[in-house]
Amino acid sequence: MAAGYDELSPGHEFPPVAYELDAEAVEAYVEAVGAERRAHVPPLAVAARAIASLGELMELPAGTIHASQDFEFIALVPVGAKVSCVATVVKKLARGPMRMLTLELVVSDEHGAVVQRGRSTVVLPEAA
Amino acid sequence: MDMPVTAGQQIPGFTREVVQADIRRYAEASGDFNPIHIDEDFARATPLGGTIAHGMLVLAYMSEMMARAFGDAWDETGRFSARFRSPARPGDRLEVTGHVESVNDESDIVVVTCSLSCRNQAEEVVVTGEARVNLSV
Repeated sequence: MAAGYDELSPGHEFPPVAYELDAEAVEAYVEAVGAERRAHVPPLAVAARAIASLGELMELPAGTIHASQDFEFIALVPVGAKVSCVATVVKKLARGPMRMLTLELVVSDEHGAVVQRGRSTVVLPEAA
Repeated sequence: MDMPVTAGQQIPGFTREVVQADIRRYAEASGDFNPIHIDEDFARATPLGGTIAHGMLVLAYMSEMMARAFGDAWDETGRFSARFRSPARPGDRLEVTGHVESVNDESDIVVVTCSLSCRNQAEEVVVTGEARVNLSV
């Protein structure tokens, strides 16, 4: 069951979420962003799916938006690769009506080798 | 980049128009269906007053500029730190630009640090970022 903001605390590690970057998914991404086609998966396609996978783990309110994003690309990811993403809560800030959450994401290949790291900070809409 | 990379060098940029159909296409490709991006009625009722592009879509444009300039080295060794300053909205014309801040020799690699930015047609800053890429020598 997806966790809500109030249930999360720094250090909380979510279970890994696995996904496949098959040719169809990569082509859809390349078309959507107007990227040049290459022999491997564009690194932000890997990241985009990793971030979207958080939706399976967390129930953040509609209207949550990105404040900052860091990436480190470590290895090329071949088309068709199966990868998994582990997300950890790094920071949680609630001040008045403002709520923010920082997550670290580590994406690994089928052999457990890390291919990408990222850190996302999101701002939640003010609670009603 | 074909020529030697030097500090101050401009990275060839490009412009992109933000259209709602592209935002929808990106939502489907990424799996991010946050209604702030795709549900105009929902978004109109928020403080943002309308839909906005996914931040990751704007970053994809900036990453693409780096990939065109540095090829696979970017996709394999790139580091990117970005801050979202203002939303990109349908109808906006985004200009993605960058320049080389520094070039440092570190034994068998050259570390290139770049400053990136994305602005809209009103010259408002949408995203700022710093990128780093390692080039083999």
